[in-house]
Amino acid sequence: MNAKNHPSLLPNGLLDLLAPSAENESRLIELFIKNFSAFGYDRVKPPLVEFEDSLLGEGPGQALSRQTFRMMDPVSGRMMGVRADVTSQIARIATSRLADNKRPLRLSYAADVLRVNGSQLRPERQFCQVGCELIGVDTITADVEMPLIAAIALSKAGVQNISIDLTVPTLTKHLYDEMKISADETESLNDLIEKRDRDGVAALNTKTSALIVELMDHDNLPKIALPKKAKADIEKLLKLQSELRAALDVYGLQDVQITIDPLERRGFEYQTGASFTLFSQGARGELGRGGRYDVIVAGKSPETATGFTLYMDSVLRIAPAFSPAKREEVKADADWKAVKSLQDQGVEVVRKA
Amino acid sequence: MTKPQKIILALPKGRILSEVKPFLDGCGIVPETAFFDDNSRLLQFKTNLPHLEIIRVRSFDVATFTAFGAAHLGIAGSDVLDEFNYSELYAPVDLKIGKCRLSVAMHEGEMAKDNPRQWSHIRVATKYPNLTRKHFAARGVQTECIKLSGAMEIAPSLGLARRIVDLVSSGGTLKANNLVEVEKIMDVSSRLIVNRTALKTMPEEMQGWIGKFRETVKAA
Repeated sequence: MNAKNHPSLLPNGLLDLLAPSAENESRLIELFIKNFSAFGYDRVKPPLVEFEDSLLGEGPGQALSRQTFRMMDPVSGRMMGVRADVTSQIARIATSRLADNKRPLRLSYAADVLRVNGSQLRPERQFCQVGCELIGVDTITADVEMPLIAAIALSKAGVQNISIDLTVPTLTKHLYDEMKISADETESLNDLIEKRDRDGVAALNTKTSALIVELMDHDNLPKIALPKKAKADIEKLLKLQSELRAALDVYGLQDVQITIDPLERRGFEYQTGASFTLFSQGARGELGRGGRYDVIVAGKSPETATGFTLYMDSVLRIAPAFSPAKREEVKADADWKAVKSLQDQGVEVVRKA
Repeated sequence: MTKPQKIILALPKGRILSEVKPFLDGCGIVPETAFFDDNSRLLQFKTNLPHLEIIRVRSFDVATFTAFGAAHLGIAGSDVLDEFNYSELYAPVDLKIGKCRLSVAMHEGEMAKDNPRQWSHIRVATKYPNLTRKHFAARGVQTECIKLSGAMEIAPSLGLARRIVDLVSSGGTLKANNLVEVEKIMDVSSRLIVNRTALKTMPEEMQGWIGKFRETVKAA
């Protein structure tokens, strides 16, 4: 037995999607895009591979540099990268080809991405991302629109017990800056916050750590005596929560839960404002995430944008399968008329050999 | 509203279990009697609470079960948490039990011959390859770890590796094997751990348990 040479062995994290999963995935994508269109999002399709400098520029692309497969383009002699995320490509389109289009600009996409490493919870290295980007407007309503559309889409796909976790990833940075704490304290606080080690934070026994303990307990967020910028972040978060709740209720999504975690920053390295993560009880890990970021193009002032992406592998694991159409077998010599008449009734026809 | 879901609490097998008992009492959890019977072959146990069940697994596996959401809550040592560094685990409460330290140990005679400043590469027998590699990498030393599951203490005398990295509490086992502790890597104690998705999707239920465990620590 030589596993290395087995013809069906695929590289780590890559897989064949068979029936009915392949069909389920494409139907879900179609359903999601349709729901995005209802809010005026136009679908775009960037290429799988592009020059690495445009793919991994400042902003959204930068964080994924280590996750990006690269290759040399023999034609131009330049390095290319295979996209590990779609956001930076949409940002490039928005600021170049669509730079003169009226703002706000609403774009949607469904595209496979490839990553160098899978994660503990998502060993897949290739998976499909479906999402929206809303470019050129910075309002609470725009911040509400993102999680709202995501929740509507997931709910239409039959995902139950959806939970939206809201955060403002700049809060901790603002707090550190305003409290003027040392690099050492910043580092130990970051480690402890990552593990939500409340007792560890409390044991540091500084002014800042006391505030962070209060943020962790969050019994009374508006009353915490935070410095100005951090306080503004919290106020934004609470406003977002109440407006999102009202919007979800309008769409009959009373059962979608909203939680607040002002200290959540993981994976939000390039976000500059209101952000969120989508969970569903019983699903392993996140179903999607989104948030506000800056689109940065050399020589131009940054443009504000927000967006979200849904991870189709996670969604596919939890969304109920579409019910398959009725299927009938006919004899090998059945005539085409009989086949067509069954098909006209919506039956799938399989001719026996 | 979200449907009530069965909650799984993962507890470590072995010595630590007796230290965990007061926490179960403090939280009002009464496991079925087989739970305290070391000879029981059961792995999953009912409790007095209809929606709470307990699993009893190896201490390293507590972290894994909880990280992947197979268990919602667990009790695991900070050594295990730092070794795996699972992104999906939160460790909100220091239970202040199972206290010990993770240390480097070697034969007393070897120490005199050794100049740590000249190391570029060392070989270490340990159950904690990630923590060990990280610890030595921080001072520019590359580590070749030989992963063992137990009985690290005999590795130096049999020539498997000159150094070991292991948990030390009283130091008795080291002494019995002619080893001395040369360096402490970290202090260890047990933590209450919570799965990230569980905390985000069932905040009231999970915060309730976190609160109960925290109260029990205070009362102790």
